[in-house]
Amino acid sequence: MKLLSSFKKELILASRGFYFYVELIFAFVILAVLLFAIPQNFSSTSTEYLYFNLPQQGREIFTDIILEDDLDGESEMVEVEAGGKTFNAELIETDEEEIYIVDSEEAVRMLAKTYRNIGAVIELNNDNQLHYKYYLQGYESARLKNLISILNNESTDVLIERIENQEVRPLSTDYEPLNDRENTIPPLIAFSGSLMGMFVMVSYIFLDKKEGVIEAYAVTASSVWRYLMSKIFVVLLTSIVSGIIIIMPIMGFRINYGLILLLLLTTGFFASSLGLLIASFYNNLTKAFGAVYLIIILMMIPSIAYFIPGWDPFWIKIIPSYPMLQGFKEIILPNGAVAYPLIVSAGFLAVGIILFAITNIRFKKTLSV
Amino acid sequence: MIEVEGLYYSYSNDNNFAVKDVSFEVAEGEIFGFLGPSGAGKSTTQGILTGLLQLQKGDASVAGYDIKNISREMFNKIGMSFEQSNVYSKMTAKENLSFYSKLFDVETRDPIELINLVGLKGKENMRAGEFSKGMKHRLTFARSMINNPTMWFLDEPTTGLDPAIAADIKDIIREHNNKGVTVFLTTHNMYIADELCDRVAFIIDGEIKLVDSPKNLKLQYGKKMVDVEYTQDGNIKKETFSTILQEDKDLLNQIITDKEILTMHTKEATLEEIFIKVTGRGLV
Repeated sequence: MKLLSSFKKELILASRGFYFYVELIFAFVILAVLLFAIPQNFSSTSTEYLYFNLPQQGREIFTDIILEDDLDGESEMVEVEAGGKTFNAELIETDEEEIYIVDSEEAVRMLAKTYRNIGAVIELNNDNQLHYKYYLQGYESARLKNLISILNNESTDVLIERIENQEVRPLSTDYEPLNDRENTIPPLIAFSGSLMGMFVMVSYIFLDKKEGVIEAYAVTASSVWRYLMSKIFVVLLTSIVSGIIIIMPIMGFRINYGLILLLLLTTGFFASSLGLLIASFYNNLTKAFGAVYLIIILMMIPSIAYFIPGWDPFWIKIIPSYPMLQGFKEIILPNGAVAYPLIVSAGFLAVGIILFAITNIRFKKTLSV
Repeated sequence: MIEVEGLYYSYSNDNNFAVKDVSFEVAEGEIFGFLGPSGAGKSTTQGILTGLLQLQKGDASVAGYDIKNISREMFNKIGMSFEQSNVYSKMTAKENLSFYSKLFDVETRDPIELINLVGLKGKENMRAGEFSKGMKHRLTFARSMINNPTMWFLDEPTTGLDPAIAADIKDIIREHNNKGVTVFLTTHNMYIADELCDRVAFIIDGEIKLVDSPKNLKLQYGKKMVDVEYTQDGNIKKETFSTILQEDKDLLNQIITDKEILTMHTKEATLEEIFIKVTGRGLV
């Protein structure tokens, strides 16, 4: 009853305050970004400029081979401007590339320089053998340069044979990847739900410290833990609402909302308790902001690793936001594992309880007159 | 109702004590004044007795509860009015009191009745943030009565109030005391202490210098003071001397012998004057 009264009071205060609406507006902004700014799949087509300095027959052979992958099987004659000049080009569009076949090496060089794409000139050398000249940007990886080198020096037959002899074994046969928009949800949920919750919690505490109402609560027959827990409930509520605002319009009813709620609750509880613990060490928001800022920065590092699959050092996995992100991802994956979010939820709940217990002791000790 | 024995408290957890070897008792139904200037240790002592500060050394009990292991039940019996108003500014006066009324396990008072009692009639639906400083202070005072406390801690209850409202607050305190409520009054205002308290303790630099009733103090120090007006180097000077303290008597004799006396009156000492005499310090 006392906890419920405290919760109702916190809801009244939150509804008349600033931060409650900031969280909700932030959720709508994220949703708008997801819907209107982030495409379902980022474009991965690359552009290349080619000049076949070959006899007409050789030029046609190369063009016909490329044309086989064209989306509509037909090339298009276009004009491209570069360096104040206009160049005629034959455009061939495939799933992965836009290939401009131009009629001079100057055109290749100018276009590659202007549009910062790869260009190549294919010609015959003195021995009547094919010679490849590439115009690179300079920042290409050593791997790409090596690959280009191998492609042009190894026998085509050897390359084909090696590729065909490679054994590819899928680790999961029923794996369905997320599209780019869906893939962006986990870090945004973790940020808007948990990290914002931590910041808002710290702000709530300092608003109360400023008004001195914690002392007034401490001389009632209700315990300090109820006061703290009622604040956590409000943060959890806004975390769930903002999470649903972001997830539901994108994912519809394709995901397990029970698991989403569980993970939102447990990660929110962890982050709120952490916020409370930080607040117990400081007298005002300005002093606490440094610590809050550092923790938010630390928690955002796994988001970087999330978008760079090749960068996944061990130490990142220790940062709490890492399992948070992976947990949310597993839930929204069409064939995601159920056990992982459950284990992660249990972990955050356990750590949250420990942090809350420490915070409760600290708040009892640091109440000032 | 309150028993304190050998109480010490240090904010820095060293020998720099804010409260040193404080001992006193407050009987049931008594109004006990805890008087001293700012920083004397009044609020620290009150903070320990109300559980806001942890007991470090010494023994204390309030309303039969040991302060070493405070039970939440104790707070059903005590009320606390803070010096600094601390109400939720985003909530109305009525919402503030209604909320606090639900945090006790005993029968509580009607918020509207309390709002009217402290002179805030018609302001019950106004947010506390729109209140003046005095109005907030009255709301804080009203909140301290919400659980019908039998032990009432009042920290500067009339500070910042105009004389008419302060008089009403004093009447409310007297009225509750007449019904058997024990009052622990912390103040640096000697007039309110003089008017209300059955006994007072003078505290300075964390130590209690004296505990007695204002009446006894006046009997001891009053009517044994002399106001003397005399001329010195052509200027009129006015001084007050104790007829008990040897140092004052010697000075008075010297003035009578050496100076031209214009007027001389015996007078009753005020509590403030007694405080200054006993502690050697003012109240500001």
